[in-house]
Amino acid sequence: MGKVYKYTLIDLARNRFVMGYALLLLALSQGLFVLEDDPMKAMLSLVQVVLVLVPLIALIFTVVYLYDIQEFTQLLAVQPIGRKAILAGQLMALATALLLAQGFGLGLPLLVNAPGPSAVVLSLAGSALVLVFAALGALIALRQREKARGVGLALVLWLGFVLVYDAVLMWLMFVTSEYPIEPFVVPLAALNPVDLARIMVMLEIDLAAMMGYSGAVYKSFFGSAAGMAMAAAILSLWVVLPAWGGFRVFGKKDL
Amino acid sequence: MPVLAAGPQFLSLPVMGEERITCSGIGKRYGRLWALRNVDLSFQAGEVVMLIGPNASGKTTLIKCLLGLVHPTEGRLTVEGTVIDARGRSPHPAYRSSIGYMPQISQFPPSLTIEQLFAMMADVRGLAPERLDDRLIAELGLDAQLDKRLSALSGGTRQKVSAVLAFRARPSILVMDEPTAGLDPVSAARVLKEAGALRDRGGTVLITSHLMEEVEALADRVAYLEDGRLRFLLPVQAILQRTGAQRLSQGLPRLLEEMNTGRLAQVNP
Repeated sequence: MGKVYKYTLIDLARNRFVMGYALLLLALSQGLFVLEDDPMKAMLSLVQVVLVLVPLIALIFTVVYLYDIQEFTQLLAVQPIGRKAILAGQLMALATALLLAQGFGLGLPLLVNAPGPSAVVLSLAGSALVLVFAALGALIALRQREKARGVGLALVLWLGFVLVYDAVLMWLMFVTSEYPIEPFVVPLAALNPVDLARIMVMLEIDLAAMMGYSGAVYKSFFGSAAGMAMAAAILSLWVVLPAWGGFRVFGKKDL
Repeated sequence: MPVLAAGPQFLSLPVMGEERITCSGIGKRYGRLWALRNVDLSFQAGEVVMLIGPNASGKTTLIKCLLGLVHPTEGRLTVEGTVIDARGRSPHPAYRSSIGYMPQISQFPPSLTIEQLFAMMADVRGLAPERLDDRLIAELGLDAQLDKRLSALSGGTRQKVSAVLAFRARPSILVMDEPTAGLDPVSAARVLKEAGALRDRGGTVLITSHLMEEVEALADRVAYLEDGRLRFLLPVQAILQRTGAQRLSQGLPRLLEEMNTGRLAQVNP
């Protein structure tokens, strides 16, 4: 695994898309801090960048990269090395490259302009989203043979998590507004990794008050150490389950 | 042992060396379609076998089964004593250390240099530099391009890189899928010569190619697949003798015509 990881990472380190992504994040982050007088306001805008852009890039880049190296993966699978080691090396290298790009483009400006627990939580939430969506991207690329369909599926999934899921949740809250359904909203929100990341960041930045009764419910649930641990555990599951599915598919797949 | 059935006559053909790869009843189904059906054959040490057949005849599927890339639906493969059973668990990947593979399409991580790719593949195989055969690097003119990124290479140069990778680990089994595609004539001849040298050292070489003229001088036997079934596996000399042709490219169509018109019974491996 280490050998595949090392050379895949060398390849990714020179990848123009990864470099471009790092520079784009840096320009966005630093730009927001320069334009906004209040670092907290800049951080709020960055929250949206992290919740929308990071899942999209991690998902699409993982899908496209795995399709593009399909023939090379075949060549690796003919060598005296197990398939698990190949996939583990490639996925870990992908995650490392995306995390490094994010650390450079987002983490560094946060550290310089708004050091503190909020910046740490935002960086951690972004990192968790990278891992979740890279794992989901791997599962899509391994299950779906055609690149165009794989990319399409990835876009649908991203739209689903970032837009549709919340819209459905809000509609549900609206039509059942006469009933106290907020306690049910918590587990529903936890099923969406983007929402989970949003809640964690909002609670840290203390914006829960702006979210009304829902915010209070989130705060009472996730505000405690046990709640945060549960949120982290659910996010971990969002990484582990798709990755596990990917390994199962890759192990049995005809290449 | 392969035999050619021609009416009441049966021509028994010699086996060249120890059996290195054996396929017993190998079949592969994709959905409802059988890409390969009940293939029984064996490949010996010290021979070059040319796998031919029309498009979608099952050549690539057979090769991929041997390489462990495709899981057979039925049957059993033995590669140098390692059994790959359709119903069993995948064997330990160590058995592939004796296999070299030159695929039809050569695609590599684009941002690596040729040198880094060579280092990576040697690392993956766990081979020290002194165990590698680097002659082809210079002979194919790659020594001056080692620091070039793989994305900057032409298709032909990528194919040369692929050839080096296939031979570099000194395999005892070499599988080449359309090895001359995209190569200039000089490089193609060099690669085929190297395949012949491997055979002379006791290696087993399997080649698929549409360019029969290029490969026929090298081939000892020819396996013909059609609709996923093996129609024959015969020595080149037997085909030439049977058809009275001078060259395989002339003899094969005649043999197939005889088989198709019923003048020659099905040839059994």
